[in-house]
Amino acid sequence: MKIGAYTVFVLLLFSIQATLLYSLSPLGIQPDLCLVIACLVGFRMGSVPGVLVGFCLGVIQDLFSAGPFGLNTFTKAGAGFLAGVFAENLANRASYAAFVPVMACSVLSAIVFLLWSRVGTGLGEMFHGFFSILLPQAMLDGLLAVVANWVIVRWLVEAPST
Amino acid sequence: MSGRFRPGVFWGSGVKRVSLVLLAVAVVVFALLPRQSQFLLHKIGQPFADILAMPLEGMATLDRNVREWWMRYIALQGVSEQNRELRKKVEQLTGEVNHLRAEALMGKRLASLLEFQQDESIRTVAAKVIGRSPSNWYQGVILDKGEAAGIREQMGVMTPAGVVGRIVRTSGSTSIALLVVDPNVAIAGMIQRTRDEGIVQGTSQGLVRMKYLPPHAPVKKGDAVVTSGLTGGFPREMLIGEVSRVQESEDSLFQTAEIVPTVQFRQLDEVLIVVAPRSSEAVVSLDQALVSPGPRNPTP
Repeated sequence: MKIGAYTVFVLLLFSIQATLLYSLSPLGIQPDLCLVIACLVGFRMGSVPGVLVGFCLGVIQDLFSAGPFGLNTFTKAGAGFLAGVFAENLANRASYAAFVPVMACSVLSAIVFLLWSRVGTGLGEMFHGFFSILLPQAMLDGLLAVVANWVIVRWLVEAPST
Repeated sequence: MSGRFRPGVFWGSGVKRVSLVLLAVAVVVFALLPRQSQFLLHKIGQPFADILAMPLEGMATLDRNVREWWMRYIALQGVSEQNRELRKKVEQLTGEVNHLRAEALMGKRLASLLEFQQDESIRTVAAKVIGRSPSNWYQGVILDKGEAAGIREQMGVMTPAGVVGRIVRTSGSTSIALLVVDPNVAIAGMIQRTRDEGIVQGTSQGLVRMKYLPPHAPVKKGDAVVTSGLTGGFPREMLIGEVSRVQESEDSLFQTAEIVPTVQFRQLDEVLIVVAPRSSEAVVSLDQALVSPGPRNPTP
């Protein structure tokens, strides 16, 4: 039952990422929902669940990505792991605390993509990719993580005890 | 904050250590054997892609319906409908104008090429766009036709308005096309008026650039850029875009032209995949193909 619910959630998440989110991003930059979720799982549940969720979401993204297979899989798994490690060294797990690790993981993941997809296209393209894709996406990912973490804390963690 | 990074926490339990080692091994294999790992992962993932395409198609339909509903009822009712019709018409007319322009220019060259038998017929399969590339780093679209419909990698993708991109990955029922605005796509193109050839490549800014144009080519703003047909996937004379700027440099061996693509990539709903760029077999005309779905199993 739980596995079924997780599967539906993952499928829904990816479908939203590949369809609705594009329509809702007028500037052409969309947050990476899968990365945010992988990082949040790592942040709240630990690095091993973070790696597993990141790996699964990355595989699905890779299946429909125009880039090489495996890039999303490993960056998302790595992001989930790093977010978990970061959280284990953190005393305060308030909503806003998710901003820094998710943004940092987004930057690291995006650097891999930047190097992989833009090497050979010129320095100008690299700079443009850094300032117009990498940084805005990292900010969006961080902000989305804060909101999602707040929802989790407010509705999923605190709700049963009240 | 606990204040200091603790290595013990980093390495943690056995499970964590094992998962970290497995991840590291996978990354090393992926980096050292890129081609083999790509092939293996692609083969393993293919059946899953077909299953995952179902919710994706459902969500794409929902997305399209919501967008259409919004355009029709909330935004300018009536005008939106008219706009859509007109846009479709403009796309068709752009294709026709390009075709006629090409024919006019061809007429001039025919004096010396009377024996040349041109076969402009192409065979296409119509496909719906069911999703976009989930990453900001690749400008791609997910299409609802795959290997079962005869789609293969490197096939060209277009609309009546012009070139869209190229197929880079296929599964049984879906395929992924990289758009011409992506820096990883390169197509052999030429300036329609002067017949000067170059390589058309996307940029991160969402523009298209034509590189390696001869230094003295009389290219000017407004010139139409078409496919040269030298690389596979596209027929000759398919419109790519219009020159918006020419960069000339004294110390450079070549000229570079910036091109504005004729296809509106954000409004892409249906496309045509060129399964045979030059074929004397029965032709699915561009208009016809957009209205009716393409053959499920076309003969190669």
